[in-house]
Amino acid sequence: MPHHEFDCSKVIPERKQHAVVKGEGEDLTSCLPKGYLNTIPGSISERGCAYCGAKHVIGTPMKDVIHISHGPVGCTYDTWQTKRYISDNNNFQLKYTFATDVKEKHIVFGAESLLKQNIHEAFDAFPEIKRMTIYQTCATALIGDDINAVADEVMAERPDVDIFVCNSPGFAGPSQSGGHHKINIAWLNQKVGTVEPEITSDYVINYVGEYNIQGDQEVMQDYFKRMGIQVLSTFTGNGSYDELRGMHRAHLNVLECARSAEYICDELRARYGIPRLDIDGFGFKALGDSLRKIGLFFGIEDRAEAIIAAETARWKPELDFYAARLQGKRVCLWPGGSKLWHWANAIQEEMGVKVVSVYTKFGHQGDMEKGIARAGVGTLAIDDPNELEGQEALLRLKPDVIFTGKRPGEVAKKMRVPYLNAHAYHNGPYKGFEGWVRFARDIYNAVYSPMHQLSGIDISKDDYATDKGFVTRRMLSDATLPEADRASPLTGYTGKFDPIAALRAKTEADYPEFARKTSTQAAE
Amino acid sequence: MAGFKKEKPSARANYPKLHASDPLAGFDAATREKVSEMETYIMKNCLWQFNSRGWDRRKQNEGILGKTAQLLVGEEVQNETPLDKCYWVDAVLLSRAFREHCVWLAGMGKDEVLALLKILHARIDWLTIDGSLNEELTVQNY
Repeated sequence: MPHHEFDCSKVIPERKQHAVVKGEGEDLTSCLPKGYLNTIPGSISERGCAYCGAKHVIGTPMKDVIHISHGPVGCTYDTWQTKRYISDNNNFQLKYTFATDVKEKHIVFGAESLLKQNIHEAFDAFPEIKRMTIYQTCATALIGDDINAVADEVMAERPDVDIFVCNSPGFAGPSQSGGHHKINIAWLNQKVGTVEPEITSDYVINYVGEYNIQGDQEVMQDYFKRMGIQVLSTFTGNGSYDELRGMHRAHLNVLECARSAEYICDELRARYGIPRLDIDGFGFKALGDSLRKIGLFFGIEDRAEAIIAAETARWKPELDFYAARLQGKRVCLWPGGSKLWHWANAIQEEMGVKVVSVYTKFGHQGDMEKGIARAGVGTLAIDDPNELEGQEALLRLKPDVIFTGKRPGEVAKKMRVPYLNAHAYHNGPYKGFEGWVRFARDIYNAVYSPMHQLSGIDISKDDYATDKGFVTRRMLSDATLPEADRASPLTGYTGKFDPIAALRAKTEADYPEFARKTSTQAAE
Repeated sequence: MAGFKKEKPSARANYPKLHASDPLAGFDAATREKVSEMETYIMKNCLWQFNSRGWDRRKQNEGILGKTAQLLVGEEVQNETPLDKCYWVDAVLLSRAFREHCVWLAGMGKDEVLALLKILHARIDWLTIDGSLNEELTVQNY
């Protein structure tokens, strides 16, 4: 096993099991770090907790819901709106967050009455919202508050409301991934099957593991609607509480982030026989293949091909502009979980960058299998890294850019490594054909921004040129470009600052109308 | 929905091992090269081989690679259940990719293709199940 031992972690010898370098001839039977284990004492992890995984990642993107944390206000603040999962109802779930504000006296005397009071106050304050999710936290779990009983009482008193209880306190798993699992299964057990949805198409999917970061879900939903597919629910980005109660009536579960949402897909398959189809919404080839697969499943591949052809013709030249300028740029691909495998191959194949390291904060060994399989020889793969390891890796690998979360991202910036937000994006959406060009544009801007050169100059000490003007990113990126690429009429991204507004402005009349099958055709 | 038998978690987690060592090891260099090309395409572009549990991977590999072999030799594929259809969807994409990237397939006879796909199937089972270092493959529940 080609383990990698960080100098900074020699005092924590167990850490050696959590990092590998993919060598020539290595495969998954000889090269895989440990994963999804409790963080080793002494290693300052960058992980979140199981409450955060349940609420922040999966629960809160549901848009028409009062999301209330039963616990100290700090838990709520830490999970409030730091991820840009927007929604088409004026971002209700981003703008408002609720907590019961548990304090020491409640720990002594109990907090159930406080919870009940808060639930009523929240429903009274927002009378148009009739749905609520209550999240357990460490403090209220430890004192044994019975949230389900309180929720039942309120639902009896207010027959027009419905409440979902998510019992995933922070300590309920090694990382946020434990919370993903708990909320998946809890939603399935408590809510799926409690609403019968209206079926409006012969082709009905649940779009699962998609969180509408800066509009990703809305981009993909537009493709599906152009194919005549009904998106019965999205789990959970821009998703509606009641639509998600009807997941059991879909014909197919289309799974994007298997790390956070494979559990509900697998259980929907086991309990309702709905198949699971894994897709990649990132990258021209992967996205094209994904739309083709869904089209094939329903016998409407021609509709997928029409979209792929139109979108590729529109956006591929602009992707090529960036790809010519990003060849060989070294990337540390350090996201939370699924993007390490969603992006590892696509950015190398379609943008020409070189992935020199992958890491995951909360991924399992299965995620590392996918990531290592898609990465090249020499890639350093790290599970649950601590900050010192991250710094040591950056010094050793000297990447041109790092894709990661905002906490390690700020560390990278201080080390003068450009950083792109892999979780909430910089200028997303990044899904879809246009989105992939926006991602390439952001990478290009990160790598070539003159700010990074200027930031290395200490004007009180260093010699620096005073007779030269400000360099532009084009001067930096095109200096060594082959003549043919420099002479090419291709330009970078020409889309709008906000591509989502146009999608939201669409009406049903803007989508093609496909005739429904007759009952005889459907039976065949 | 028809076609799905619910299994007991403990039973499905105790799936038998099919390969104790790399099944590709004993083959000649030309065969290894061909299987390697197909394996690389799968590993770089596909996700179906990485469902989270070993018993599930066994079904995925068998369903998709079995149908891929049928498609490559022109056999009719039966899709009796939605799950079968889901395997078939991935198999169609994979067979198209193999035809495009592995041009030598066109010069092989039906039996040769089937034999090669059998070796590929064994190799993917080895990488993702029997030789895998993933300690979560035998967890009983999802």
